[in-house]
Amino acid sequence: MTGEIACHGCDLLVNVAALKDGESASCPRCGSFLTRVRDDAYSRVLAYAIAGVILLIFANSFPFLSFAASGLESVITLRQTPGAIWDYDMPGVAILVAAFIIIIPAAILTMLLLLCVPLQKGYYRPWLVTTAKWIFLAQNWAMVEVFIIGVIVSLVKIAAMATVVLGISFWAYAGFTICFTLALANLDRYQCWERIEALEPT
Amino acid sequence: MPATTAASQNLSACHVCCKLAPAELHHCPRCGSAMHLRKNDSIQRTLALLVTACILYIPANLLPIMYTEQLGNSEGSTILGGVLILIHHDALPVALVIFVFSIMVPSGKLMSMFYLVWTVKRHSPVSPRQRTIMYRVTEFVGKWSMVDVFVVAILVALVHLGGLLAIKPGYAALAFAGVVIVTMVAAESFDPRLIWDEMKETEETEEINSDN
Repeated sequence: MTGEIACHGCDLLVNVAALKDGESASCPRCGSFLTRVRDDAYSRVLAYAIAGVILLIFANSFPFLSFAASGLESVITLRQTPGAIWDYDMPGVAILVAAFIIIIPAAILTMLLLLCVPLQKGYYRPWLVTTAKWIFLAQNWAMVEVFIIGVIVSLVKIAAMATVVLGISFWAYAGFTICFTLALANLDRYQCWERIEALEPT
Repeated sequence: MPATTAASQNLSACHVCCKLAPAELHHCPRCGSAMHLRKNDSIQRTLALLVTACILYIPANLLPIMYTEQLGNSEGSTILGGVLILIHHDALPVALVIFVFSIMVPSGKLMSMFYLVWTVKRHSPVSPRQRTIMYRVTEFVGKWSMVDVFVVAILVALVHLGGLLAIKPGYAALAFAGVVIVTMVAAESFDPRLIWDEMKETEETEEINSDN
């Protein structure tokens, strides 16, 4: 049974034990992606995750956007984006937006660090299983790249009304989006779990 | 030759960690998640969620998604209205982005999920490979419809200049966020392996028929 993976698209059993560094496998029947082997996967994830954490801290410390018309100006930070909707009596939308753009991505980054430092060094830690489980459950619900598109669309929508300036925070968030996406793209579900199991003391 | 699936070997695959384990187990021996041979009541759950999404889709499109208040006048605009205003202002690329993400993607997603459920229910012979690709695309585009909700959040936060100019959120934003989340959960609760399970049965009956 070792080295076999059941395709999550069609349940076909495929043996992936022969894959070498840099190779990936797709299901021969339905074409779904199965797994990719990278010997330095955890170093890559860590590099992107650490850069992501730094950029996210930057993104939360400076003005995000500013808007000026007829001598009046309003400046917002990243956190005020969900905050303003809360003030208009829509706490549901505010919580969702905050969760999708800040809370879930930040939680995933923290968990990536907790998971990949031990995996890269080859130590077993009791929290590995729980953190890996939560990363894979939560990763669909982080919408950082969607938010960036949202910012660009908003800018074009109001560009005619007033002057809009992109703050440092916006650029930091854009960089964070790239690092976050690459960190998750380098973490392979199957290989990650095989590694945890291999490290587990019996 | 019928394909060797995990189910035919009486193995179930953990949907969180990919571990293969005997189908009798209820919890994954590696990560402790609940395990099933196929996702529980996949078709019923997906259908229930799709119907919910369709109901939410009505207020999401009919109510204004945001109000623009200019010098005391308040004017609401719906999702489609927003696209028309953008076309009117010659901002075609952005109008296209909003049209694709807020109108085409959600309605296309609902239709393709209904289609997939329907073909599985009536054991359709339509190419399972193509239907699997269709499912993957539906799953992938899911979260991109949130763009419009984020746009409202950003504009509401950014545009309030005293009594001169302000943008306020409308209830369609809540309904639309609901549509996006419910359809994402619907796509997650659908089990694409059902498409192939049906296929294997028909292939096998064909083989038996040709043997006779």
